[in-house]
Amino acid sequence: MRSLKLRLAIAIAKSASATSKLLGHKGETLPGRILLAIEPEAISLLAQDKEVILISGTNGKTSTTKAVASIVSQLGPVATSGSGSNLAWGAANALMSPAPYAVLEIDELHLPSIIAQTDPTVVLLLNLTRDQLHRMHEVKRVADRWHVECSEAVNTIFVADIDDPFINYSIVNAINVVRVSFGGRAHADGAVCPRCGSYLAWSRNKYSCTCGLTNKISELKFKKGSASFRNAILANIVGEIVGAEPVEFSESALERSVTKEIAGKSAHFRLTKNPASWTEALQADLHPEVILVLNARQVDGIDTSWLWDVSFKALKGHTVYVCGERALDMAYRIHVEGVIPTLVESVDEAMALCSGSDVSVLTAYTAFFELVM
Amino acid sequence: MLEIIRIHNELLGTYGDRGNADVLQFRAGLRRIKSRITDISYLDPLPRSGDIYLLGGAEDAAQLLSLTALRKGSILARAANKGAVVLAICAGFQLLGNTYKTRDEEFEGLGLLDVSTAPGDKRLVGDIAVKSPLFLEPLTGFENHSSVTTLGTEATPFATVISGNGNGIAGIDGAMDKNVFGTYLHGPVLARNPEFADLLLERALGTAISPVDDELASRYASWRRGLI
Repeated sequence: MRSLKLRLAIAIAKSASATSKLLGHKGETLPGRILLAIEPEAISLLAQDKEVILISGTNGKTSTTKAVASIVSQLGPVATSGSGSNLAWGAANALMSPAPYAVLEIDELHLPSIIAQTDPTVVLLLNLTRDQLHRMHEVKRVADRWHVECSEAVNTIFVADIDDPFINYSIVNAINVVRVSFGGRAHADGAVCPRCGSYLAWSRNKYSCTCGLTNKISELKFKKGSASFRNAILANIVGEIVGAEPVEFSESALERSVTKEIAGKSAHFRLTKNPASWTEALQADLHPEVILVLNARQVDGIDTSWLWDVSFKALKGHTVYVCGERALDMAYRIHVEGVIPTLVESVDEAMALCSGSDVSVLTAYTAFFELVM
Repeated sequence: MLEIIRIHNELLGTYGDRGNADVLQFRAGLRRIKSRITDISYLDPLPRSGDIYLLGGAEDAAQLLSLTALRKGSILARAANKGAVVLAICAGFQLLGNTYKTRDEEFEGLGLLDVSTAPGDKRLVGDIAVKSPLFLEPLTGFENHSSVTTLGTEATPFATVISGNGNGIAGIDGAMDKNVFGTYLHGPVLARNPEFADLLLERALGTAISPVDDELASRYASWRRGLI
């Protein structure tokens, strides 16, 4: 039974949500903020009568959360996060729903506290790579926090993609773990063992440290595949744990991509926000004309140095337009790699200049939401 | 052939500093100067024949591993003594000093610069602009560290801070001694400031190089300076 204070807090938060929507906001964070201001314990109180599933990682959180929510919806109503609202108030907002299941996307830095508050049934850990370093500072720092909390969450089952050594380190002392390997993959920040600080020995995408940290031993093994392929499998493993039947997803279902008609042509937008997701996107098939959109606001990462960790060689031979608030950072980066950029003011302007019927648009985080959501 | 040695990028590559080598090679190429970038991993011996050695920013454990490997044979110090150019950013800069401290331990550095580094009380993150006596215009970059680096009597400040923190003390960024340069500027610094890349090329070649007009490079650098 929810307490009077909690019920009152929910009522006020919900009326604020209605007002916020009237004012044209998406209404996903304000009610959560109000709820937590009135009842700081709201998240743990609301989580008590739910089966809670949390999803976190640098890349693929939003799409994988949607996939898990759709799988779990076989079992009953699911409360889930709004698109990308993955901080505490986003979780609080979703948990206000009376649904018996909650499937929540959680920001990497907020995950330990949300695990502690919700005592989740399952936590899915996707990957940890370089992202928003002005905020995260170091990948290892995030992994250290996860490591501590995962070790303490004794009631939770962790589903972990251990081809990422930071994920493996995070769950190495956890009690209930399903370790998953997809045949190994390179990790741009994986040169040092996150557990013991030794130089990590890699051989054909498998790592094995003298301290014992390795991806050669896992409960489940699958073939190699794209991030989208891997995340679909991981989502189904989570579903199976809570008793849902597997759901088949198309290869591109879990990409953050949206197609929009602009200037009579199809603009295929794809979210690209850090070295790992840019690299993933540049390995996919691109149309002959490509538009790159770069911003550097807080959620994009205010430092653009990471552009130099991505190889843009795949763009050679393409016609490349560049725009966004930090278009010059991108233009100079690809210029040095031998790709000729054409600077434009906007995606609309670039689309008007394109001659083909289909154009690839690789888009930074904030630009993606402004342009397609 | 200009030999550019990119040291331990898998360890000292957290903040995109690998781009410094790419920019040097690109701007050498604009003058038809041939160059080669050699990536040296932690497991490789450091070549003695480098004209330019580059070190970048790193996380703590990676920094320590790099230091351990670089101590072997003092190759970097010998190369610098013979006039090779060394550019070291952030954690790489700290390694070149006499000592650096973490919260738990103190380590002896490589001793190429008379500086010492200790943990500070806050993380210094954000855009930074500095004025170095080597250049007419200010340099811009991005800093992300939590250390304080103090200069000894033999080190010369690389620059004074216009905005941001740099070494975290005395309004100074970096240090230099002949052809050895340390700074906290990421960006990468040579991508943001092409005149710095050209200075390193001149120092490595021991001769003046022809000016080039790379319109995009100048436009990028002056746009960032305009935001100071």
